[in-house]
Amino acid sequence: MSILLQLLVNGLLLGGAYAIISIGLTLIFGVVRVVNFAHGELLMVGMYAVWLLAAKLGWHPYVSAVPVALLLFALGVLIQRFIIQPLLSADAHIQIFATVGVSTALVNLALMIFGADVHPVDVSFGTEHLQFGDINIVSGQLITFAAALAVAGGVHLFLQRTYTGRAFRAVAQHRYAASLMGVNVKTTYVLAFGIGAALVGLASGLLVAQYPVFPTVGQYFVLTAFVIVVLGGLGSLPGALVGSIAIGLIDSLAGYYISPDMKEVVYFAIFLVILVVRPTGLFGLGRGSE
Amino acid sequence: MFPNLLHPRGYMGALALLALLAVPFALQSPFAFHLAVLVCIFGALATAWNIVGGFAGQLSLGHAVFYGIGSYAATLLVIDFGITPWLGMFAGAAISAAAAIVIAYPTLRLRGPFFALATIAFLEVCRLLTVHEESWTGGSAGLNVPLNIGLQWMVFREKWAYLLIAFGFLLVTLWAAWLIRRSRFGFYLIAVREREDAARAVGVNAVKVKIGAAVISAVLTSMIGSFHAMYLTFIDPSAAFSLELSVQIAMFALIGGLGSVAGPLAGTVLVLPIAELARGWLSSFGSGTHGFVYGVVLVLVVLFIPRGLVGHLGAYVLRFIDRLPGARTPAPEPAKSIAPADALPLGTPLLKAEHLKKRFGGLVATDDVSLTLHAGEILGVIGPNGAGKTTVFNQLSGFIRPNEGIVKIRLADGTWAEPRTPDAFAKDGIGRTFQIAQPFAGLSVLENIMLGAFMHTRVRMEAESIAREVAEITDLTSLLDTEARSLTVGGMKRLEVARALATRPRALLLDEVMAGLNPADIARAISMVRRIRESGIAVLMIEHMMQATMALSDRIIVINAGRMLKEGKPSDVVNDPEVIQAYLGKGYLDAQAA
Repeated sequence: MSILLQLLVNGLLLGGAYAIISIGLTLIFGVVRVVNFAHGELLMVGMYAVWLLAAKLGWHPYVSAVPVALLLFALGVLIQRFIIQPLLSADAHIQIFATVGVSTALVNLALMIFGADVHPVDVSFGTEHLQFGDINIVSGQLITFAAALAVAGGVHLFLQRTYTGRAFRAVAQHRYAASLMGVNVKTTYVLAFGIGAALVGLASGLLVAQYPVFPTVGQYFVLTAFVIVVLGGLGSLPGALVGSIAIGLIDSLAGYYISPDMKEVVYFAIFLVILVVRPTGLFGLGRGSE
Repeated sequence: MFPNLLHPRGYMGALALLALLAVPFALQSPFAFHLAVLVCIFGALATAWNIVGGFAGQLSLGHAVFYGIGSYAATLLVIDFGITPWLGMFAGAAISAAAAIVIAYPTLRLRGPFFALATIAFLEVCRLLTVHEESWTGGSAGLNVPLNIGLQWMVFREKWAYLLIAFGFLLVTLWAAWLIRRSRFGFYLIAVREREDAARAVGVNAVKVKIGAAVISAVLTSMIGSFHAMYLTFIDPSAAFSLELSVQIAMFALIGGLGSVAGPLAGTVLVLPIAELARGWLSSFGSGTHGFVYGVVLVLVVLFIPRGLVGHLGAYVLRFIDRLPGARTPAPEPAKSIAPADALPLGTPLLKAEHLKKRFGGLVATDDVSLTLHAGEILGVIGPNGAGKTTVFNQLSGFIRPNEGIVKIRLADGTWAEPRTPDAFAKDGIGRTFQIAQPFAGLSVLENIMLGAFMHTRVRMEAESIAREVAEITDLTSLLDTEARSLTVGGMKRLEVARALATRPRALLLDEVMAGLNPADIARAISMVRRIRESGIAVLMIEHMMQATMALSDRIIVINAGRMLKEGKPSDVVNDPEVIQAYLGKGYLDAQAA
């Protein structure tokens, strides 16, 4: 019983780590209508930045999270403005290739600069084990989970309460109608991509405390993020949160009850079933098979 | 069957290919041989990928699945059973073909990024399973190919032997792509890619075509994978089922030009040597150099030459090549009649709809509609906006299945068929147009019409001559070589009709072919519809242009709110109070009376 409880808690907390990445991905898709295949590489860039700040300046990753989020906001803005924006009316396959190209270039750039070595960051705060009865929790996981909830709530409030947030939702629903209401669609796209990337920057600060940095670390997380976002429904904020927790739980349970090297097979299988049976996901906008 | 080597396009292509062999043999450096082998392998992989990714437009980013299956199948058969890879690669190809069906069938509906994600997921599953099944796959440690030297084992000391075999694989793959691009199958693939609905309306079975492309591509990819494993003499799951490899081969095809035969190889020849050389020159930067070059080139290509080398430069190169000796255009064959393949005597019922009923949620869009179209007549269907005309029309052509009632078509032998899918309707003799024109934008007008003609013939020349004949009837002869996307509205509407006519239907359903036309185009359209009827084809037309409908129709059916309001001669129908009321409201009638 205590094992099951421990697994559920682990899964829930792991879901928190995925949630921040997935919310960024789903925000970009929802507003800009581009599936960002370079999302994982943004995470990788962020994690290297956090690692560098820790190794050279001794900053704690949680402190670096804020400047790195700003850095990634800028990177996201540049990618949207100079690579995605010129291709907005191009075929879907051209947009896919564009983000795939960015992803390939970034992974290999990291390989050229930092080599294939795995760099852990040693921190004391964020790695302590906390004991609640039979349940053992790493403090960093709890902090990440709390941050994920805060981010989800913050993004929700932003989308509901601010003018810019309403503009995001308007553009997501109908870009022409939104532009007729005076919303600057291009600026909205740039902001959405920037914010999506900034969330990844935030995530990298939180994740570095638990995961080491290496060039393909982004792929590891982003494939999972794609599964989550499709499961929850591309473009849906609650979908991303629920999907993250679902995948976190599946990861934790399948890893224990089936086999640690088969847990990914389980959620990729779920992913394929969702794509085929209900491509709009649990909370989707109904555009999956379009 | 084979390219004509006396034509400049044939011999220049052959010379360019031979250069791939000649250069390394002239240089005699191991690096040049290695590079040429890589170009052949990746060129072949990209060409095979292009059959699905380019011709069929299904952007697979998991194509390494088939490569991996091929390399593992051949290697395992050598290790465990001592079976030569020359046979083993066929075993791998068979498994890959089965895998392609399993992957393609459920993912057919997915488009763009969703299809790409699904293929990545399949790739990951295969890789993880290969790692997991350590007992017979060697797990993540990989497998070594036994070093039995000799042709029989596809393992050699000298690089030139590998080059000859790799070149052979490249030739076979190119030949397959060339055959497909020229065949009816190739036309159908492009049609499905561009507009699936319009393709179904000219009798294309989209599911079959897409799966066919996936299987052919998978088989070729798998066989190249088998050979590559023998060349590398070592395989492991992360290299064989690699996302990076999948992206690379797709990228070469894009850079060269999706959907062309020569493009993928051209892209490989241009980019691969640069990246390999960069790997050598910039080796101090570590292992990422060539990947970085790929990424940057890919971004630059999509930004500046999204149609690839062939798309942007192909026309110039061809114009130059066609000036070389030996180029001559074959005389077009004498035109055939476009009259229906099997005509019925005038006046016999041809198409019957009985008690059609269609609900969309709570809305009854079609409520008990019955109608009959006779051979040789023009039947007009009119009704106010939103009356449900197009819904009836879609049921008559199989695009919507009615909830109740049936649609029957009389075949040449007098029996009645009850087709269920749009392509079956087309094959049973119903041609249709779309209210919003759906041209295959990237194809020329001639090729658009040929797509329809392919329903009754596999022979390209025959399809072309039918298309020319149809173009004559539809006033498109002078525009045959124009790209469909640059036609005017009137031209597009006539192209819609032409494509439907080329299927040699017994009944042609026209959905508002005159809407939005200028007066000159309307006059052309009216005489076109007359010519169509004169050639023995029954016409059912939905039209808002009352004058045209009145002038053309033998009979008119009025539909309002999903129900049949009136049926009769044009002159009777226009003066019917109920019809006037449906169009103009009761107030108008009262005002007239007063």
